[in-house]
Formats: sequence, structure tokens, C-alpha cells
Amino acid sequence: MAANYWASSQRLHWQMSRQRLAEVRSALDAQDPKTVQQYPLPELRHLSIYFNSQIARLGRRMQTRQQALATAQLYIRRFYTKVPIRDTNPYLVMATCLYLALKMEECPQHIRIVVSEARTCWPDVMPSDTAKLAECEFYLISEMNSYLIVHHPYRTLQDLTPVLSLTSEENNTSWQVINDSCLTDLPLLYPPHIIALTAIFLSVVLKTSLPQTNIHAAASSAVAANSSGSGGNSGGGGAYGASGQGPQARIGKLIEWYAESKVDMEAVIECTQEIISLYEAWESFTPSAEKNCKDQLCRMIKARGIV
Amino acid sequence: MQRAEDREVDDKDDRGGGRPGLLTSTSTIFNTTTPAQRPPSKRKREDTHNEEGDEGEDEQEEEDRGERGLHEEIMPPYKSKVRVLEEYQIIGFISSGTYGRVYKARSKLPGNTKEYAIKKFKPDKEGEVIQYTGISQSACREMALCSELSHENVIHLHEIILEDKCIYMVFEYAEHDLLQIVHYHSHPERRPIPEATIKSVLWQLLNGVSYLHQNWVLHRDLKPANIMVTATGEVKIGDLGLARLFWKPLQSLYTGDKVVVTIWYRAPELLLGSKHYTAAIDLWAVGCIFAELLALRPIFKGEEAKMEKKSTVPFQRNQMQKIIEILGSPSKERWPAVTQQPEYNQLQTFKQYPNNLEAWYHQIGATNALGFQLLSGLLNYDPTQRLTAQSALEHPYFSEGAKLTLNAFEGQSFDYPHRRVSQDDNDISLPGTKRSGLPDDSLGGSRAKRLKEG
Repeated sequence: MAANYWASSQRLHWQMSRQRLAEVRSALDAQDPKTVQQYPLPELRHLSIYFNSQIARLGRRMQTRQQALATAQLYIRRFYTKVPIRDTNPYLVMATCLYLALKMEECPQHIRIVVSEARTCWPDVMPSDTAKLAECEFYLISEMNSYLIVHHPYRTLQDLTPVLSLTSEENNTSWQVINDSCLTDLPLLYPPHIIALTAIFLSVVLKTSLPQTNIHAAASSAVAANSSGSGGNSGGGGAYGASGQGPQARIGKLIEWYAESKVDMEAVIECTQEIISLYEAWESFTPSAEKNCKDQLCRMIKARGIV
Repeated sequence: MQRAEDREVDDKDDRGGGRPGLLTSTSTIFNTTTPAQRPPSKRKREDTHNEEGDEGEDEQEEEDRGERGLHEEIMPPYKSKVRVLEEYQIIGFISSGTYGRVYKARSKLPGNTKEYAIKKFKPDKEGEVIQYTGISQSACREMALCSELSHENVIHLHEIILEDKCIYMVFEYAEHDLLQIVHYHSHPERRPIPEATIKSVLWQLLNGVSYLHQNWVLHRDLKPANIMVTATGEVKIGDLGLARLFWKPLQSLYTGDKVVVTIWYRAPELLLGSKHYTAAIDLWAVGCIFAELLALRPIFKGEEAKMEKKSTVPFQRNQMQKIIEILGSPSKERWPAVTQQPEYNQLQTFKQYPNNLEAWYHQIGATNALGFQLLSGLLNYDPTQRLTAQSALEHPYFSEGAKLTLNAFEGQSFDYPHRRVSQDDNDISLPGTKRSGLPDDSLGGSRAKRLKEG
């Protein structure tokens, strides 16, 4: 339930294995291979990045809190494990997910505001009729089996920040990595605390101001360092944030704490790799790739008449 | 006895979060433009789940698309996979409120003999052609929370069906509720509820509230009409339409809903305009319910000052007066933070009263000293000192004296009437029409409604 992830609908009904997720998706494609072939769409990571940027645009227009955006993104991801994307207008779905997420995160916006802001963002493809969005809301809730309460990694991060003496920079970076995890399948695959622990791990390993291009290398080496043994650099006591400790010692301490807390390190490493793949995809998400996303979606929507 | 129990959910939602007009919920959101006429579409939702979808149909779709042209609005219409009337046989109509109507039903599945209460949220628009208007926040909360919660003292949600622009929440059926039980014991003559029953009801109620609070859920509308009791004496907290999570909310609880809890059960910190109230408001309501089970009438039966403007919440002077008359003046000694309450100035204008709770307790004929202790602990002015659900459960009132049972009716032989179910108004598929101002209680209410509607 709300306080207990292990008894939550998220854990019981909306978490699946990677293999299961792949099966679900290919089964959706198999329903109508002709249409899938006829309307090619960008690879999932690029599509996710594109959706994220679009929903963030819409969110910004309404000063939406990050947590509501994260909820909306997870709704989108859940919905598209049940419904073939080509049967929908993804812009309407995005706006609907945000509309519902705003209500669930207790910062609601009037349906007319959401529709009119969405129209401003996507004038060609967003229906102006509020009834369309409201109908889509039925569809969305029905496909999610009314399981609307979402557990996010932010809470674990907040709880662990004092425990692990995270600096505010580390906390910020972790927060951003959690935001980034919303662009991946991780929220469908792993419990939120694992994602939070991954974000913290990355933030400590990567230091804060590394440009994105270096994240991959730094993270890979950290993963390597981690698997080569955690006992090596545990010298020195004191708080985690204490200066005078080398970064390696700090990482060592963190890994030690993870080990003592019986954190599923395998899962953390898998999540780390997923995040790194996202950053790689991000690098290849050029303006032309973005335009390609937009054009392919637009073509699909218009040709299929599902504006 | 006419009870001022009408729900305020919709109104409250309308008052909305500090953004006047934004949350005017769905009741005022109608699209002024006529939606584009949908051409008949062969493409149904089911097609996507149809594994045998043959070529012929695909071609037909292509044609359809061609006919539609490029810019018509034809996202496939939403269709429910489950239909209420295919799954359930409606036995009759139970009650109605601003949210919609409740029906008693039986499953059509062979072998399933259980009974259900189906809560149908009315589409907001009345008459004419019903349109999708966006689901009220209250309905969203109730759907989300009920889907998540699972506890023996919280009403169990069987399923939710979203069909034909209506939401149907299918709950387990409970034969009684506390409002009806209190009424039975006070009419025509007064027959006190046995102590063992009160003890069992209160313990189960606290057990449910404790579960809600452990899960960061505030109920915010506890009152006798919302506390169900099954035929086998199990207490089930119902109606989570005002409930919400209170774990580090993005906005203060006050910003979301300016007024919560039916007036007679509203905690003093709410009456004094507290913006950051806590789970203690539910325990105050439990205290009021405990008192009502003992006295067979509401302990603080104030008159509600109506909202004049949507934006301002009036000070509920009469309700505060009723509380002060029994509990005495809320001094700084009894409630250190009272001076920080937004409406503290109002308090200065009240006459001073001593604490008369003990006298009240004896006057209604109650004698159990531990019961009095527990009641005082629940009706503590200071929300930080008020008993929590957990501490109340551990109170000696439950461990001493008459044995605590989990069947509230054990050892007694009262013949409580069954929930009134009306036969002649049981067409669940009719659009719900708004019956504003009518109480949504489950006792006598339907009779009154019949008269008014007839």
C-alpha cells in the first residue's frame, strides 16, 4: 500500500521481468504486423526521449512538479504495454496521462487548461475537444486496472540522504538520475528503492559536474571497480562527506554500506547499465533524430486518422 | 430525524486549490462546441485483441481511413471490456448523493452468491447527451485508494468498471451502518447499545483507522453513515471519496480541499482554520462517533454556517460553541498551539466554560471509567496530545471489563432492519440525475427521496 511498496499495486501488478516486458511488447506488435510495418516508429529509447521532452514542455507550461511528470511518464509506459501505440494518438495520451497524474499527485489542473496548453504545444495533432481527453482518461484508467498510485525513487533518496551523508550536489545529481530513469523501462522492472540506490551510486561515483559525455566512462569504471572487490579501499572512518577522504574511499564506504544493507547489487548494476545506455541514446538523439520522431508520429496519426 | 449528513465532496472539490476556477471540477466543464460527428467505425477496440483478425477486415479499415480523410477526429471510441449488466443482476436502489447512486447487486457468475454494493458515479452533465467531462478528483482518489487498500476493517473493493461514460465501483455489501444502528437504538424508544457491541465497533473502527494512517491515508470524512457493519458484525470503513495520502504532499492538505469532514465530526483545529492538519482529525471524528454510540445522538450537533462565497470559508461559530459547552474553553494550558490557529481571535469572543465532559458522560448514563478516559483522550483539543489510532487500540478500555469480540453483534439479539432497497428505481443504466441537497444517508433517506421525487 501507500507506505509499503511490497504490498503496493505497483509491486503486485505493475512490475515485470525484462523478458516478460519484451514478450508483452512483441505480442502487441504481432497483433497488427501490417500496420507496424506500414508506420515505422523510432527505436524505443529515442521515442522515450522524445516523449519526455514533449511532456516536460507541456508540464512547464503549467509549472508542473517533477513528481507529477514522473507519474505521468510511468502511466504512458504502462498504457503502451497494453495498447499498441499505433492505435492511439500519443500526444493525446501524453496530455491525458499528465492530466490524471496531476490529480493523483494532488496538484490538479482543470481539463480545459490541460487541453488548451497541449494545443499550444502540439497544434496540429492535439484534439481541441476536452471530451476527447476525458474519454482517453477512461481508456487509460481501464488499461491500468485503476492502479494509479505510484511509488517513486525520490522518497528513498530523501530518506537516505542523511543516512549516507550525501552532499547537496550528490543529492541533486541523484535526483536528476532518477528523473532520467523515467525515460527508461526501469520503473516497470525494478522497485523504486533500487533505482534510488542506483542514482546515489552513480552520483557518488561520477562526481557532480561531469559532462554527460564522460558519464559513461566513469560509470563503467565504477562498475568494474565494484565488481573487482569492495574491500580494497575502506580506510579511514568519519562521515561520508568528510573531506580528506579520496573519492575511492568514499565509493568503497558506499559499497560497504550497500553490502551491509544487503542491497541487490546485481540489480543496481543492471540499472546502472540501463541508465548508461540511455545516456548513449541521448547522445545520438540529434535534432534530426528528434525531427524524425515528430514526423513519423505525425504521419502515423494523420494517416490513421486518429487525431 | 433529518440529518445534515449530505456529502460535500463535490462542493469541496469545486472550491479548489487556491486557483479559483481551476478545480471547478467537472460540473462546469462542458465543452461548448459540438464534437465532430464520428463516422461509424468498423474499427473497434476488440479488434486489437482479436487474434483472428483477417485480411479482409484490414482492408475494410483501410477503406474507412480513406473515407475519413486526413483530419477528422476519430480516435477509436473507448469501449469497456466488461459490462455491468452482463456481470451483475441489480437487486435494487440503495441511496443517492451528490456523487451518484448506490445499488445492491448480485453477481451473475454461477456459484458466486455474494452480494455487492455498486456505487455509480454520475456523469456530471445532466440530461441531454452525456459527454465525457473528466473524472472528479474525488472519484480518482477513491478509485486509486480503494484499489490499493486491503484490510478487514476497510470496505473491500471488488472491481471498477468504466463503461458508457460512467464509473461503477463494485464493493462488498454490508447490511448495516452505524447511523442505522444508532437510529434503531433511539427509535421509537431509547435502548442503549450493549457495551460489548460498542467496544467491538470502536476497536474495529480504530483498527481500520490505524491501518489507513499507517499507510499515510487520511480518511477525512469519518461519521456514522460511513461506517458499515456487516451482518456478521464486522466493521468496514467506507466512502473514501475525501480520503487522501498525506506523505509529504506537494501542496498543503488545506490547499487541495478547504473544507473537510462533516461539520459535527470536524476537529477543533479544522474549525480554527489550521492549514497543516494531521491524522489526528480522524481520531477526533472517532471520538465523536464513540460519544454518539453511547449517547445515541451526536455529541456536538452544531448548525453549519453556509459558504457565502466560494473563496472564503466561514468560521463555524455554532459548531465551536457546541464543543466548548461540553469540553470547556480551549485554553493555552490545554492546547499550547491554540494561539497560532488562524481563527484564534474568534475564540476570544466566546464565553468561558469549564470542562463538562465528565458530567455529560454521566448524564447520558455511561458509567465505565475507562471508557471516559478513552473518550477524553480522543476528544483532546490539542491534536499533538490526542490519542493516535494505535495508542487508542492499546487503551485499557479494550483489555479490561467485558471481553472484546470481533463480532460486534456477539451475544446480543437485536433485530436490526436490513438496508432499505427500493425495487422500483433499479435501472442502473439510466443516467444519474442530480439530486442536490438530499442527504445521502442510508436510513430513511431513500423513503424521503421517494416522496420528494414521486
